[in-house]
Amino acid sequence: MKLDQFLAMDVGSEDDRFLDLRALEYISDYDDHLMCPICHCPFIRPVRLECDHVFCQTCLNSAIRSFATGRDGFTCPTCRTPTRDVYLNVPRLLTNMCDEIPVRCPFSSEGCKEVVPRGHIQSHADKYCGYKLMDCPSASCDLRTRKKDLSPEDKCMHELHKCLRCDEDIMEQDYERHVQELCPSLKTTCPDCQVTVFRKALREHIEACPEAIHPCSASKYGCPVKMKRAELGTHEQSCPLITIGPYFEAQNSRLDSMELTVRHLQQRNEIFEDGLASIRSTLVESSRAFSAHNSSNTPTTDTNDTLDTPSEINRRSTPRSTTTEDSTTPLSNATTYLLSLHESLREEVAQLSHAITDLDARASMAIMNECLRLKEDMAHTNAAVNSVRMQVQWLMNPRLHQGQRAAGADTSTGAQSGSAGRTGAGAGPSSTGLLRLRRLSDTGREGTKL
Amino acid sequence: MALPKRIIKETERLLAEPVPGITAVPHEDNLRYFDVTIHGPAQSPYEGGVFHLELFLPEDYPMTPPKIRFLTKIYHPNIDRLGRICLDVLKSNWSPALQIRTILLSIQILLGAPNPDDPLANDVAQRWKEDEAAAIQTAKEWTRTHAMT
Repeated sequence: MKLDQFLAMDVGSEDDRFLDLRALEYISDYDDHLMCPICHCPFIRPVRLECDHVFCQTCLNSAIRSFATGRDGFTCPTCRTPTRDVYLNVPRLLTNMCDEIPVRCPFSSEGCKEVVPRGHIQSHADKYCGYKLMDCPSASCDLRTRKKDLSPEDKCMHELHKCLRCDEDIMEQDYERHVQELCPSLKTTCPDCQVTVFRKALREHIEACPEAIHPCSASKYGCPVKMKRAELGTHEQSCPLITIGPYFEAQNSRLDSMELTVRHLQQRNEIFEDGLASIRSTLVESSRAFSAHNSSNTPTTDTNDTLDTPSEINRRSTPRSTTTEDSTTPLSNATTYLLSLHESLREEVAQLSHAITDLDARASMAIMNECLRLKEDMAHTNAAVNSVRMQVQWLMNPRLHQGQRAAGADTSTGAQSGSAGRTGAGAGPSSTGLLRLRRLSDTGREGTKL
Repeated sequence: MALPKRIIKETERLLAEPVPGITAVPHEDNLRYFDVTIHGPAQSPYEGGVFHLELFLPEDYPMTPPKIRFLTKIYHPNIDRLGRICLDVLKSNWSPALQIRTILLSIQILLGAPNPDDPLANDVAQRWKEDEAAAIQTAKEWTRTHAMT
């Protein structure tokens, strides 16, 4: 079928005789595949496009009207395939599945509890539902009435009638129900004592009914007894919890007053804590301000302190502390004054320790200097000793050679070498021992040679 | 005029099964007006940002597309200073088979894939084409200042 033919088809949705299936309340969730992509309801009279996408007839109709104009052709709303034909035949399976979804009767607000498959809802509403609202048969009345309330004689059921018992005006269609169930003047029986009372007096009766089950008045203290009101009196005379009741009351009131005091104390405590916190914060603030003030002073004093002797430092620090006091006295707060005092003391201590380290460094420096000088002296003497030794050796050498030659020529010249050794000893008294030793060894060697 | 069944159903579904990174809540006094938030997609310059949008379903929805606008400032070649969005499915390519859910998803994808060849904000698109790294840096900065609270 061509698109224009399809558009010309009678959609029939505006007809008042048919229920609006889209407005129905669907009881269960239905599968997304049974849902028209345009109206999101299960398909109602589905039609199919060339691309096999299915839509409700009315939905596709309005889509074609909105989108075919102004464009060269109509495309499938789902897949955008250009489409010229609409097919009215969709698989029976699809319509069956859609018609099987249960829906609530549209007259549920009037009291119909029916839930029927959607395929049957039209016939239910048309033929079977007694709650369907019908126009009043009387031409003069424009009210509507439920189908089941319509009288067979086609007379208007909206006339008001006075209830004989309660003097209320009731419409004729509601009269029967009123008389049977709702009228407050109807009698009813108390569920506990079987006494018949008026419906409107039932509530008062239950409050006072002697047969009604009531808990013991000490139930709030844990008495588990529940019995008829008539017998409750005898129980309450012997109930130990009732006799102890006043005591509990007194305890309760005491607890309450205690709680009150505790709360009061808590509040006061909080106030104190707040005050403490504020004091602390001011302390921190002032100390910060003071340290800032100090840091601007210290660099100049430090450079001087390095040259001061301890006594000077002591003398200097005393006036300094007074000046710091002077600078803090404008801060009239006592705590800030104490704090400043503390700060100045701390500064003095710092200065002292500084001076001590300075002295220490100087002393160690002096010691080191002395050591260096001594070391130098020692090196000098060492060098002198060494040069003397060299000279002695140089002086000794020719004599030694002479001695050897003399020993090699004649043993009697040994006395000569001995005198020569004596003169050598005169030249260098420190090397006499050595010379003598050598001579001894020489003579020893001569001895072995001989 | 009564609210069409379709809008009721879509709203119910949006609230019952929300799309990850997207929320759409109707106004109580006007069920055709939605407050929408879209989270910037991961690995995009908008990552970490939460963008607010407004969405209005016109009288003949779904035969006309919903009207959507960014309320949060965003640096994007297809979104202009006033928050209007250049997206074909919001204009000529709208189809009644599309729905709020799919449209919001399309916008989220547009954030992850800017298209400077079909610009709405010409200055942004120009910058995006000339110096993409710098443009992305600006988009990140805008996201930080406007979409992260």
